[in-house]
Amino acid sequence: MTWTIVRKEIIANLLSYKFFIVILLTTLLLFTSFFVLYKDYKGRLADYELVRAKPGEPIAVLPPNPLSIFAKGLDEAMTRSFEISRIGIEVFAGQKSENVIFAFFPTPDFVYIVKVVLSLVALLFGFDQISREKESGVLRLMLSNSVSRAKILAGKWLGNFLSLSVPFLLVTILGFVLINLDPLVRFSASSAARFFLLVLAALIYIALFLSLGILVSALTRRAASSLVILLLIWAVTVFVVPNLGTLVARQMVDVPSVKSLSEKQEQVWTREVLQMIIERRAKDDRGTGDIVKSHFDAINRELNQMEEDYRNKFDRLVRMSKNINRLSPAASFVYATTELAGTGIGEESRLKENILRYKDSVLSSPDRGEKQAPAFAYRYRSVGQVLTQGGLFDLSWLIFFNILFFAASFVAFIRYDVR
Amino acid sequence: MLGTLIKKEILNSLFSFRFVAIFALLIVVVPLTTFILTNDYVKKVDEYSFRQNNLENYLKNYAHFNRIGGVILPSQPPIPFYSLVRGISSDVNMGEFDDDPLPVVFPLLDLVFIVSILLSLAALIFSYDAVCCEKEDGTLKLMMSNCLARSKIILSKIIGGTIILLVPFLVSLVLGLFIILLNPRVAWTGANWATLAFVLLGAVIYIFLFLVIGVFISASHHSASASIMTSLFVWVLLILVVPNLSPYLASLMSPAPSQIKMNREISRLTDVERDDLGRKLEAERLAELVKRYPVLAGRFSEAEAKARVEKDPAFREAYQARTKEVDAAWIEANRIQNKKRDDLQQEFGRKVGAQTRLSRGLSMISPLADFTYLATDLTSTGAMNLRHFGRLREIWDQAFDAYEQSKIATLRKKSPAVDWWNTPVDVSDMPRFQYKEEALAARVKRALWPFAIMMMMILVVFVAAYFSFVRYDVR
Repeated sequence: MTWTIVRKEIIANLLSYKFFIVILLTTLLLFTSFFVLYKDYKGRLADYELVRAKPGEPIAVLPPNPLSIFAKGLDEAMTRSFEISRIGIEVFAGQKSENVIFAFFPTPDFVYIVKVVLSLVALLFGFDQISREKESGVLRLMLSNSVSRAKILAGKWLGNFLSLSVPFLLVTILGFVLINLDPLVRFSASSAARFFLLVLAALIYIALFLSLGILVSALTRRAASSLVILLLIWAVTVFVVPNLGTLVARQMVDVPSVKSLSEKQEQVWTREVLQMIIERRAKDDRGTGDIVKSHFDAINRELNQMEEDYRNKFDRLVRMSKNINRLSPAASFVYATTELAGTGIGEESRLKENILRYKDSVLSSPDRGEKQAPAFAYRYRSVGQVLTQGGLFDLSWLIFFNILFFAASFVAFIRYDVR
Repeated sequence: MLGTLIKKEILNSLFSFRFVAIFALLIVVVPLTTFILTNDYVKKVDEYSFRQNNLENYLKNYAHFNRIGGVILPSQPPIPFYSLVRGISSDVNMGEFDDDPLPVVFPLLDLVFIVSILLSLAALIFSYDAVCCEKEDGTLKLMMSNCLARSKIILSKIIGGTIILLVPFLVSLVLGLFIILLNPRVAWTGANWATLAFVLLGAVIYIFLFLVIGVFISASHHSASASIMTSLFVWVLLILVVPNLSPYLASLMSPAPSQIKMNREISRLTDVERDDLGRKLEAERLAELVKRYPVLAGRFSEAEAKARVEKDPAFREAYQARTKEVDAAWIEANRIQNKKRDDLQQEFGRKVGAQTRLSRGLSMISPLADFTYLATDLTSTGAMNLRHFGRLREIWDQAFDAYEQSKIATLRKKSPAVDWWNTPVDVSDMPRFQYKEEALAARVKRALWPFAIMMMMILVVFVAAYFSFVRYDVR
């Protein structure tokens, strides 16, 4: 019986104007996004070829991550070129820095489109499932047969989920395959596995909004009010909570701004260098090796302490804002997908730790000849590590929302007056 | 008659569920956002004065000219408008190792965001069924059976919708402004209020535009459910897609080399290539010189030259001429390469400028981008302020350079033997960087374009809405 309802839902969707609009929108957006970010990736790859470290240069620079085509995340920050020198790490940033318009709007990657557009689309599939059929009287007719409400609800959910996810999957996989045809972008087996997990997360996220849509539909009498409520909930979850959450976290954790940190650093090392020069001058520049060493040690000590302090506070800020933002499933979705793709905040801070360790190894190697530095190597966290370090939590959090909304809509539907 | 129609629209909406829902949302979100942003602003002010104090303390004890350039870099002070609009002022700092990537993941919430996303959505929610719902109910038929012009009906719908939508927005904004005013640390000037008035005018036009779009879509559909689908489709494209895609499309249409590539090219020009050229010029000039001073023929080391200079006066003269030639060769090499570098930088600036203009132009198809540019430029938190800041910085740079030169000259006069580059100096009289917001008139002038584009869109969509309503079958 459930399958009959699933079939009915799918056929009803296929014939509707809504379905036509939605599929047009999704296809258009996904393909444009794939194309644009694929070009962007190629541009960054060409840049990388220019700046990649030659053997012996103390430079840490990563090639752009091919999965950034789908989840750009912080890839731009991670593929900066970090050049190690005696007084610190010099950073050279890439492409977007000059065209200021990039700073105004978020990147339209796969994750953004799923997060914003497909969630809206899923709501549009769910918002009138129950109230519309009640208004048109179909629900009454259906229930006059010997079919349980659970089966109707399951049939509706499944039918709509299939009619939404099948075209979505087809477009996404087609895009992935097309990009994979380019020999420069060939995805490894592990990238492909990560990509499929990413798509899985997207499906869970879409399902969540579908359940939410059905829930609100089962709580309201009229499709129009159901839509208004859903649009407002959607705006709050997708935009307001995550964007406000970071600000709220900043109120609770006192992190100095990046500007203040870099000013302080500049003051420390210029002060020490000045004192060193004065002391050496007092000794007529003879036998001053100790003075030089002590001042450089002082610089390193103080800067390291300052940076460590900043990083600790910043980590606290990141944890706090992550937890606040997780009130919204959209944030959980972004965290899970960017971490899976290797472009998330966790991966970025891990990369920085590695670069700091690399800096220590460069500076402490006995022969500090300029061209003798060891090469920098970085391995992204494995999928297992990503999952255990928060990824699994975010995914289960999404699944939890799914179950919650579905169970609630079941309860609401049982109590629903279909007349 | 128009008054009656508008009144009907207002009353109709006033009792609707959507009005209550939007009112509830805005009355929570706007004051909450202003509260948090105001606190954040106060924190920024505290940190800024802390930083200034630190800098002054440093300057008192350790100011010396050799490394002062990196220490006294001018920085943008927080401005009072930060409690409403943030624009692109967030502190990401991709140029430092310890950056702050959080705003990249989730941009900040501010008034511009609320107006451009929440209110445009609300405007569509209010207007998507303006025509087709009344058709479905049958009231449109009844209305048209009186002697009523269709233009009046459609005008009343748009005006009524704007008024009814402005009520929750303005009420919540007034609450937010109260929060700002109650905070003793925030002092708004007359210019700030004037700016706010212009931003609000922009917001009203923006909301009006979306109402007109909603009514147009409603007047070209016969069922409300189809109308909402099309409305949301248009909304998603205009608000969430066009602005985000435009810089990427512009970079495909008008490519510019990346910063990294430029840095590489510049360091090649002024390093490796300069050295090659310098050596070549040096060799040429020395070959010429040997003809005049045969003593210089052959190779000799630095030490040998030193010894011969002391013994042989003829050689000394020749050697001095040689030194002069070598210097001249390198000055020439530097001049040529620096010229090349400047040309390259100019070319780069031209390309990036073209790309930025194209991105801006493309994105202005979207009213969201228009409103964002308008509001951020008016409040000194946008691209225009970056340029303004750059200009102020240049002026200050020149002033400081002049100060540095004259200060060193006077110090040298007093005690010529001291290395004034690496000795602490009293710089209490140095010119301080003062940030001053650009004049309101200039900011308004800059915002005229987005204003004009939105007005033009309103006109076009309104005409379209009128015609499709005139042709509408009300039965």
